[in-house]
Amino acid sequence: MVREVDPPSIQKEFLLQALAEGKRLDGRITLEQREVNFVFGEELGCVECRLGKTAVLAQVSASIVKPRDDRPYEGFLLINSEIGPMASSVYESGRSSDDEILITRLLEKSIRRTEAIDREALCILAGEKVWQLRLTLHFLSDSGNLLDCASLAAMAALKHFRKPEVEVIGDEVIIHSPDERAPVPLAIHHTPLCLTFAYYENLPPILDPTHLESTLCSGTLTLTLNAQREICVLSKAGGTPLAASEIMGVVNVGVDRVREMVKHLEEALERDREGRVVEVR
Amino acid sequence: MSSSRLEILNDGGLRHDARRPYELRSTSFALSTQSNAEGSSTVTQGLTTIAVSVYGPREPRSRANASHDRAVISVEVGVVPWAQGGGGGMKRTRGDKRLQEIGAAIRQTFEPVIMTHLYPRSEIAIHVQVLSADGGILPTSINATTLALISAGISLTDYVTSISIGLHLTQPLLDLSQPEESDLPSLVVASLPSSGKITLAQMETRLHVDRFQEMMDLGVEACKVLKDEMEGVVKEKTRKIVERMDVRGVAVEEQ
Amino acid sequence: MTSLVLPGDSIPLPSSSKSIVLGPGIAASTSRVQSGRSQDAPACIATRLGLLGSAKGKEKSEQYWVEGSSKRYIPAQKDMVLGTIIARHAEGYRVDLGSAQMASLEGLAFEGATKRSKPNLKVGTLVYARVSLANRDMEPEIECFDPNTGKAEGFGELKGGLMVTCSLQLCRKLLNPKFPVLPTLAASIPFEIAVGLNGRVWFKTETVSESIALKRIIEGVDSGHIKAEKEDVEQAVKEYLA
Repeated sequence: MVREVDPPSIQKEFLLQALAEGKRLDGRITLEQREVNFVFGEELGCVECRLGKTAVLAQVSASIVKPRDDRPYEGFLLINSEIGPMASSVYESGRSSDDEILITRLLEKSIRRTEAIDREALCILAGEKVWQLRLTLHFLSDSGNLLDCASLAAMAALKHFRKPEVEVIGDEVIIHSPDERAPVPLAIHHTPLCLTFAYYENLPPILDPTHLESTLCSGTLTLTLNAQREICVLSKAGGTPLAASEIMGVVNVGVDRVREMVKHLEEALERDREGRVVEVR
Repeated sequence: MSSSRLEILNDGGLRHDARRPYELRSTSFALSTQSNAEGSSTVTQGLTTIAVSVYGPREPRSRANASHDRAVISVEVGVVPWAQGGGGGMKRTRGDKRLQEIGAAIRQTFEPVIMTHLYPRSEIAIHVQVLSADGGILPTSINATTLALISAGISLTDYVTSISIGLHLTQPLLDLSQPEESDLPSLVVASLPSSGKITLAQMETRLHVDRFQEMMDLGVEACKVLKDEMEGVVKEKTRKIVERMDVRGVAVEEQ
Repeated sequence: MTSLVLPGDSIPLPSSSKSIVLGPGIAASTSRVQSGRSQDAPACIATRLGLLGSAKGKEKSEQYWVEGSSKRYIPAQKDMVLGTIIARHAEGYRVDLGSAQMASLEGLAFEGATKRSKPNLKVGTLVYARVSLANRDMEPEIECFDPNTGKAEGFGELKGGLMVTCSLQLCRKLLNPKFPVLPTLAASIPFEIAVGLNGRVWFKTETVSESIALKRIIEGVDSGHIKAEKEDVEQAVKEYLA
């Protein structure tokens, strides 16, 4: 595996010294996120999310398939998220490192297992035809905190996407093209978003670590929260041990932060909606 | 969520296997169960049995992974084909990824606890084998790994013990079995019992923030109880070794 | 006079000069013959995007090169570089310069180093060095002293401070005393600096916030957020130090 050259030791010394004063190398304060930007593609369901210099492109597409026999009323949501060497030279195509697995697993957990999408609403004809949504994530550039960026991109794309309207007459299913009838948005229960915190020995945690910060940190903690004050996923895999109160502190910060992020996401979607013609005449 | 409808907690306050909410399953800890490995252990919690072997510190298998100032830890997790029982809900289509994730969690949990700087340019290989699975694979693996590392004589800063906690309505339940795990929101906590600090916390289902603290605190308490159990076993084992050494010491004196 | 050239553009070479030295970014083209020239005079084309630079040399000779922007460093002799030590060997060190290959740094290539007393550098140390050997078929070699004087001349281990990475072009510009960024910065922030031609800049200041401000300004100038003008840099300093 390609291993990245470790940054010189003075970088770590300086970073710790700055953090002890509550400062970060890019001028942020400890619990500040990098600027989030959404770029909406021409098609519905195609969103690029930029978090500082990190960029992830998410694309949603839908097709009609036969449901599983044991769950005739449920559609599918497939998540494709392979991190290729495009994002950073440490990733290899075809082989996945531990970090990569953690990222893809956490994404899967935070979007699929938390039932963000109402899968029963994807049913067209019970036992016969259901929608299969495919969410493909392209990791364009890794400058730290791919996961948060990917979860934002994924939720933005799912909210941006619209599936064609279908009509069921008896056993027949008519799919209306977008020119005929306006496509309909997906039924989304809630908006889970990931927040990653990095921590260092005896220093307060920082939100949204950059690449350098995450290579030098002694552990990370990822929270997936929604605006309803629910923890969807919490993952602190090893690293420096934390007291329960410290974890609760981070959770409480995250609750507020997620609410702001959801608001920001909604605003961006709203702006895009205004400039886009979806309805038919 | 699984579709099986089983009564998580009945009117008498008992769980489906007649445990009380805070009652752990019966546990058994055994040290040095494999003679070939530097350290090994077999841990049973309820119907979950996990064997762990530790090799090392030894020369790293691949040069590229070696680190010049500390030991690297590699973890491999395997499940024997018959472990799941008759389709006990652990069907894995892409199981490999899940096992790799458990392996990564174990590695990251032990990296700060093992004093890796004492063994530079070496590798500590941890092999985890799930012999039978009935919920709580990750916590049981962590407990077994702690014991295996102790039996290998590798320097640790503390024990690491781990437990799963579920929530039924407002009632937290400790040490979930497989049916409970698939029906309830659950949290896995691994902590260093002497400081009460948490080194691993994993949760995968939606839960309100306010309930979370209660579960975490309970988990930390349970970890302390587990540590006492484990320490008892370790002391018993070492007592035997010390006695054996004593006998030889006496024999030398007699000559 | 400078002009923008694109890969494949032919470079107009004056016929008056006695000799012409071609620098990086210019190559003789075999595929095209310029009209109006004799067959044996080769046509020269630019091989990368950038500004065409020229300078008069000795005895009516002229030098031409193309100054492009790139991020990857290709070692060239006499370049001053910043490298991280990644491994120690019996005879010396292996150093990462950000180029395709690791460079080697001999244990004896330091001021006053003898077989008995060699400097002892740890893995992860940042060193300021000069490329002593750069051959495309060989591993580059670097040294931490001036071979003419035998003195360190500022080369060697860099302690403390902070390193930032930027484009190779900016590094070259920073070394130009007429480039306004560093003089303007020096007016308000006292600092020590080492610029490596491999796209790395190290500096050290009194306080943490000054270093962070320096880092942000260098990165800002590199990405084009901050113009490399005196006023813009002054304004950025004020903003970042606040």
